[in-house]
Amino acid sequence: MKREPLLLLLGPVAFLAALFVLPVAQVLVLAFDGGDGGPGLAQFARLFADAYHPLVAWRTIRLALLTTLATAALGIPLAYVMHRSGGWVRAALTVVIVLPLMTSVVIRTFGWLVILGRGGLLARMLEPLDLVGRNFSLMHTEAGIVIAMTQVLLPFMALTVLAAISRVDRSLEEAARTMGAGLWQTLRLVVLPLARPGIVSGSLLVFALAASSFVTPMLVGGVRLPVLAGAVYQQVTGTLDWPFAAAQATLLLVLALLVILPYARLGRARGA
Amino acid sequence: MVGGTPPVARVLAAALCVVVALFMLVPLAVVVASSFSASEFLVFPPRGWSLRWYAEIFSSRAYVDAAWFSLRLATVVTLLSVALGAAAAIAITRHAVPGSEALTGFFLSPLVVPTILLGVGLLMASSRLAGGPGFWTLVAGHVVVTLPYVVRTVAAVLARADRSVEEAARTMGAPWWRRYWHVVLPQARPGIAAGAFFAFNVSFDEAVVALFLRAPGTETLPLLIYSKLEFSPDPSVAAAATLMILMTALLMVALDRAIGLEKVAA
Repeated sequence: MKREPLLLLLGPVAFLAALFVLPVAQVLVLAFDGGDGGPGLAQFARLFADAYHPLVAWRTIRLALLTTLATAALGIPLAYVMHRSGGWVRAALTVVIVLPLMTSVVIRTFGWLVILGRGGLLARMLEPLDLVGRNFSLMHTEAGIVIAMTQVLLPFMALTVLAAISRVDRSLEEAARTMGAGLWQTLRLVVLPLARPGIVSGSLLVFALAASSFVTPMLVGGVRLPVLAGAVYQQVTGTLDWPFAAAQATLLLVLALLVILPYARLGRARGA
Repeated sequence: MVGGTPPVARVLAAALCVVVALFMLVPLAVVVASSFSASEFLVFPPRGWSLRWYAEIFSSRAYVDAAWFSLRLATVVTLLSVALGAAAAIAITRHAVPGSEALTGFFLSPLVVPTILLGVGLLMASSRLAGGPGFWTLVAGHVVVTLPYVVRTVAAVLARADRSVEEAARTMGAPWWRRYWHVVLPQARPGIAAGAFFAFNVSFDEAVVALFLRAPGTETLPLLIYSKLEFSPDPSVAAAATLMILMTALLMVALDRAIGLEKVAA
């Protein structure tokens, strides 16, 4: 290799190796600490030693799945509408999606606390209609966590699907319509199949982010509904059980890689 | 378009836009509205309006210190992230580096790894090597998180730019610093601007790595808000959050003026 690219790469590669790869590797090594000085799976066995920890892991996966479904249900049609609209509608929708995305997750979750809590905006709207009982609140419920996480992660779904739809040749859609297909038929038979790579990658991205999300489940769900990320924090700062925390963090990494790696390989095969 | 759009579809599309706009913006709007509350407690809608909570946060040592800390942190993170990320992007796009695809994957990999893992790892490393986390541990964590954004935006811009200009500068004997100063960096500028925006914004908003690396004197503004939300939220939290939303909106307007928001979103 020539000297110039080597000099350019030296800084960023050394930085990531020392401050990203090494610290993360250290956590992985600790997770496989057998407890008797050698390597082993003792920490992972503890995850299944009682009824509590499998429950936390399953809740994490369930919430991530529900959030992925909800963002897909809203984000796929939204992306298509953004794709088809122009002018101020498209500009306004872009701001609607991007401004919250650029706002801290802490602040967006704060908004949901005000909306979902007892006597909050939602309760005030629903109680006069007799739709819900008094003291209605979605705080400390899984429904509340999913609603808030859906708002936090919807931009990732909408923008990923939008990027995929934008690459679809517009004339394919028009050809289908010219040959007599209705709008719904065209959507189902032409647009959706062509947008599928975007829908798949958007879903995987949202699932991975939802499974490892921390702030929203902690603030909306509280201690009563712990997820994996919250359990890791609890062990690191509370019980100081580092090897067990490392094992649970590793489980999160495995979850994220399980959904992302097959997609990366798929994308490469397509590219080649 | 041929066949036209059925009226039902138009109505459904309009309804979807309204629902999504409300769903995305109401959580921000209630925060902003709560910040102008006159009452002691966080209730919505507020009973009476005032600016007292803004006066409160500007005279509060905790808020002012946290805001300064966050600004300093985000500035240092942005400078480092842009320097490292732009160098990486230039190397990948402008030089025939062997394994450039793997290298790109390596630079983007922090996006895939849950930040929890990074937080635990840096906490462990700093406890072992430096007696606990501090300002520079947090800088390291945030640069790792923001580096992929810079690499991606700068690489995307350079991939579209004309390479032959740099070749011309090279063949005509321009020294390396003139080649970078007059050709490569100006070509990369929109990418650097977008990358710097993301780096600053992500660092200023980030709470997870900051929470794991919390130590006396390293409390960021999002972290202060987070802990108040956990224990005793009052409208002062809403005032601080509103100022953060305002800053994000202003940065977005600046970025839009500089290079166009739709380009960044895509």
